[in-house]
Amino acid sequence: MSNLNETIHQPVRLRIMAALVTLEASNEVDFTYLRELLDVTDGNLGAHLRKLEEASYIAVNKVFVERKPRTYVSATAEGRRVFQEHVAALEAILKGK
Amino acid sequence: MNISPTEAEEILADIQRMEQKTRHAIASGGTTITLIVTGAVWLIGFVCTQFLPEISPYVWIGLSILGSILGTLWGFRMGQRVRNPEFGATAKRATIFWLLLVFYCIAAIAIARPTDGKQVTTFIILFIMIGQLSMGLLISFSAVWWALPITALALVGYFFLPSIFYLWMGVLGGGGMIAFGLYIRRRW
Repeated sequence: MSNLNETIHQPVRLRIMAALVTLEASNEVDFTYLRELLDVTDGNLGAHLRKLEEASYIAVNKVFVERKPRTYVSATAEGRRVFQEHVAALEAILKGK
Repeated sequence: MNISPTEAEEILADIQRMEQKTRHAIASGGTTITLIVTGAVWLIGFVCTQFLPEISPYVWIGLSILGSILGTLWGFRMGQRVRNPEFGATAKRATIFWLLLVFYCIAAIAIARPTDGKQVTTFIILFIMIGQLSMGLLISFSAVWWALPITALALVGYFFLPSIFYLWMGVLGGGGMIAFGLYIRRRW
């Protein structure tokens, strides 16, 4: 049970990570698209992304597209590894049922 | 942190739902539109070639232009949602690859001097499918393996069903792409 990661375990953050690790490793997703996918507010998503970024589980890339600012988010290698460990820990708990 | 097996099961189910939703959102945007648009172009173009060969060149030109515009617009829209930051350099190489492939296709046709439209069509289909498979293998676009059954359909139609080759490619090739696109959109 000690393998459960407290940062990732929070439901919204867990769903963010689940969405990001589904993308191919080199891809990043637009903030607005991710918000629609998760059905959360801007502020809520922003706060959770900050937590994940502080833990180095995600990378946030701010760019200009046609002179408009856009924010892209991707899972880091560390984030993918930690997420897989978290899922493995959950599966271990389930098997011990 | 302690959680019960029941909670773990619920969380795992939630993760699975989110992964499936993401896959579906991405696939239903890019791959399905490509399949449906290409399938529609093939269905109309090939059926027209089978039954109205005298006007089919104009139909193909119109459909190709329309398909290219739709594909470009949709690709641009999808590129803003999910993107690869290193794609710019890859896109240039991919463009050069396709241009060279067109050149090689024209060269192969010029050397082989096909005697009828079916041979030219099969040559073009094979070269396009080589390009499609190469893009999939090198750039990792999702769901590009459909190039293999299309290639098989073209070969079966060319060798075994020459009299209905265009109808075969239109209905099974084009219709198959549309059906597969709709299947991905609804079931993935």
